[in-house]
Amino acid sequence: MSPTAKQGSLIPAKAGIGLRFQHHQSVIDTQSDVAWMEVHTENYMGGGTPLRYLDAIRRNVPMSLHGVGLSLGSAEGLDPGHLERIRQVAERIEPGLMSEHIAWSVVGGAYLPDLLPLPMTEEALDVVCRHVDQVQSYLNRRILVENPSTYVTFRHSTIREWEFMAAVAARTGCGILCDVNNIYVSTQNHGWDASAYLAGLPPAAIGEIHLAGHAVRQLADGTTLRIDDHASRVIPEVWALYQEALARFGPVPTLIEWDNDIPPLEILLAEANHADGFIAATDQETGHADAA
Amino acid sequence: MPTLLELQRTMRTGLIEREVEAITLSFADGGGVDRLDIYRNTILFALTRALRLAYPAVERLVGAEFFAAAAERFIAEHLPHAAYLDQYGDEFPDFMSRFPPAASLSYLADVGRLEWAINCALHAPDERPLEFSQLAGLASEKQCRVSFRAHPSVGLVRSDFPIDDIWRAVLSGDDGAMAALDLAAGPVFLLVERGEAGLEITRMEKSAWGFLGALCRGEPLLRAVNAAPGLDTVNVLADQFARGRFVAFAVDMHEAAASEAI
Repeated sequence: MSPTAKQGSLIPAKAGIGLRFQHHQSVIDTQSDVAWMEVHTENYMGGGTPLRYLDAIRRNVPMSLHGVGLSLGSAEGLDPGHLERIRQVAERIEPGLMSEHIAWSVVGGAYLPDLLPLPMTEEALDVVCRHVDQVQSYLNRRILVENPSTYVTFRHSTIREWEFMAAVAARTGCGILCDVNNIYVSTQNHGWDASAYLAGLPPAAIGEIHLAGHAVRQLADGTTLRIDDHASRVIPEVWALYQEALARFGPVPTLIEWDNDIPPLEILLAEANHADGFIAATDQETGHADAA
Repeated sequence: MPTLLELQRTMRTGLIEREVEAITLSFADGGGVDRLDIYRNTILFALTRALRLAYPAVERLVGAEFFAAAAERFIAEHLPHAAYLDQYGDEFPDFMSRFPPAASLSYLADVGRLEWAINCALHAPDERPLEFSQLAGLASEKQCRVSFRAHPSVGLVRSDFPIDDIWRAVLSGDDGAMAALDLAAGPVFLLVERGEAGLEITRMEKSAWGFLGALCRGEPLLRAVNAAPGLDTVNVLADQFARGRFVAFAVDMHEAAASEAI
């Protein structure tokens, strides 16, 4: 399979940036030369100004919808109202890619706005697969699911996280949004092997890569924990892991995420430019390999 | 081994009610409470931010520190019902009105109610206004029995205090305007909406505000007209159409029978 066949119908295998409200006007003013953008689906569920900006921007820039609230891992089932809101945003925005998370946020009908960790069990795998099936059937399209950043693991987990990701893709036909920063954060937090994680993911399922910055914190017991806060530049170790991912998966649409302490647009574009350099290098290597 | 549902319930109890023992026992890692707090802080941060975005004037009136403390209490009792945080926090003004440390600011809850109407107006879905000509095809006896659906951005708020002036003065940081306010000037009847030019807050006459309120609640036109004696309802209604404040209409046949009986 050629690597370029993995990209979404509209999202090119290049670097894009997460579009946040602070940059709506400057994106329009500067007509920034960016290959694609991604927004959080939940930020555009109403009408008015935000949606008007998105309507205008997406006329020139391929758009991806990244949901943060559907809670694929909820034992009690998906919120049909939320799924319908997502469908309505997709109908209006016509995204090239749509993605959600391997996590949960809803229990007892209450939404806890974080991507909470799932136990890696057969039961959780069944729940997630059932919900991915439900979403893909409701939206009538394939979605990508993103691997989480986690700060705890559970005693009763029986499946390795990358095997869980691969199983969801294999059983439902969904793609994988490989968050390289999350892999770095989780493998550092839990003492796993990041290369083994990448090697455990099915290359053909990788539809997108995320890159972001993270924070480092010291717990009271002296443990160092990495926190996925999307508030800084991508660190060199994550860039290195990204190159390893590209070598495995080929050129893949790659997103720079920055959600807190959001910098000027130019900084995001510079980070995307940096990622584009690695994608281009992978493209050349793949070309040589094909020629040989 | 807990089921997934049991684990998620236990995690919620640990995160929100701070009964952390059961959930941390299921963690494979040490320092469980610290790890749980990372998630708890993210949740509190996101929900507090949603409240701050919806209630900026309330936050300025009580101060950031007080607001954060009130928000934490509110959040523990009122978790969102959906993953759509632009619609989170409608009960916050009522909560503030019952929150003893905030009782000294008599108009605080009403400013909050105004801000909630503003929040709803800003985030309401886009809908095409109803044209008056769309009613023209109705037989005249049906026109009286028609009821309307208001544009989702339209909100009506009343207060004994000049909360629109308070809101503007607070958000513009205009201490002079704030000091010059006459809190005893009498009640205000406000209409909040998202128009072509963005957010609009309009003071209305009490009778016109009551008439529009009846129509926005879906009461049939005839009943709303009868309940507004002395009001030039034809002109007021024409003004609502000119401003695009209705998006749909229906003719209630039960109401038709009832009004014929009169």
